[in-house]
Amino acid sequence: MGCKQCQELLSDYIDGALELGEQVNIERHLGDCEPCRAVRDDLLQIVHFSHQLPMQAPSAALWPRISSDLAELQPTFWTRTLRWLASFRTLNFNFSVPQLVAGVAALVIVASIGVMLSRRDNPQPELTASSGQLSMADVRPLSQTDLQQLEKQISQLSQTVEQRKEAWDPELRTAFERNLLYIDQSLVECRHQLKDNPSDNVSQELMLNAYREKVRLLEGFEKF
Amino acid sequence: MAYITTTLTMPVTGERIQPASDLELARAAAAGDSAAFEKLYEEHHRRVYSLCLRMLGTGTHAEDLTQEVFLQVYKKIGSFRGDSAFTTWLHRLTVNQVLMHFRRRGVKLEHTSEEGDFTNVVDTPLQSTRRISMVDRLALEKAISQLPPGYRTVFVLHDVEGYEHEEISNLLDVSIGTSKSQLHKARMRLRELLTKK
Repeated sequence: MGCKQCQELLSDYIDGALELGEQVNIERHLGDCEPCRAVRDDLLQIVHFSHQLPMQAPSAALWPRISSDLAELQPTFWTRTLRWLASFRTLNFNFSVPQLVAGVAALVIVASIGVMLSRRDNPQPELTASSGQLSMADVRPLSQTDLQQLEKQISQLSQTVEQRKEAWDPELRTAFERNLLYIDQSLVECRHQLKDNPSDNVSQELMLNAYREKVRLLEGFEKF
Repeated sequence: MAYITTTLTMPVTGERIQPASDLELARAAAAGDSAAFEKLYEEHHRRVYSLCLRMLGTGTHAEDLTQEVFLQVYKKIGSFRGDSAFTTWLHRLTVNQVLMHFRRRGVKLEHTSEEGDFTNVVDTPLQSTRRISMVDRLALEKAISQLPPGYRTVFVLHDVEGYEHEEISNLLDVSIGTSKSQLHKARMRLRELLTKK
């Protein structure tokens, strides 16, 4: 074995990646050749010290910079919800249609019981309504102006979202539409409740929350 | 603040309190706990920065890249399931971020020498008995930073960070033979640089 061949194999030799025959040959050469031994020893030093290089620290200003960027990335309620929903994709649920129907029915029953109990515990103040329309001026948490503002905001956001929706991937669009459907269904339910019983402050509260959720949903998806 | 306290420490038997594990911190951070994310940064930013610094060869962009890495961590932390150690996950993410940085800047890792020539393995005369003196850390750091990007990448991944050639070949999309060859050339170039010192 010559010096060129020996030195070409030195890294593999140091890393213990040579076959036995090559290893014996290289050791025989190293025993007789001082220059190649010098190269071997230098490479050993380089490898040894490289393993032990200490970690270095960035400037103290880095975290404030990252922290500032993170503040802009804080997830909205809906992006968190989407992440949560996405986490279920990794689980393998198999439900039949009757099971799904039973599950939804159970949820509806539990929600209805909750609303009834809540109504029983909270006496409802007298509110006025005209021709099936709720007079929002009398609703404690939601003034007429607030309602108009929310509806205006929803209308503007909806326009923006509609424009952007074409570019979304189908999964995102489905998630958005499903969430929007839930909220709109809640709004319809609340309107029906309030039509039957304008003094139902639970429904008013639910309707206000649904409006706010709709704004949050649209704001969350406006950026996609 | 009670929530933050409970997420950052995990009670164990008796009165002893042990620090939260990376997995617990990652889960808390994924749930929106910014204190947990800051704790993860505190624990790991030196490692990330050092890796960026050594792979880039210069401190100019290392902080920017470290910042990008942690923003990516923040965005992707929900996908960390704890199947591997957090450090492994973070390490891989950092390496990928550096490689993306190279690609964006058009750095060709395949052309590892200035001449684009891989055939000349040994730059120093074969019979030279000149030895490098005792390697000191600063000289070694400086020599590593002077390596061409391709050599440096393989050398840092293998000799500094402890990656196997198989992992490097997957990361860089090169053959194992190329990875080995580049590592050897990097070591020989370092020897040359340290001898010239």
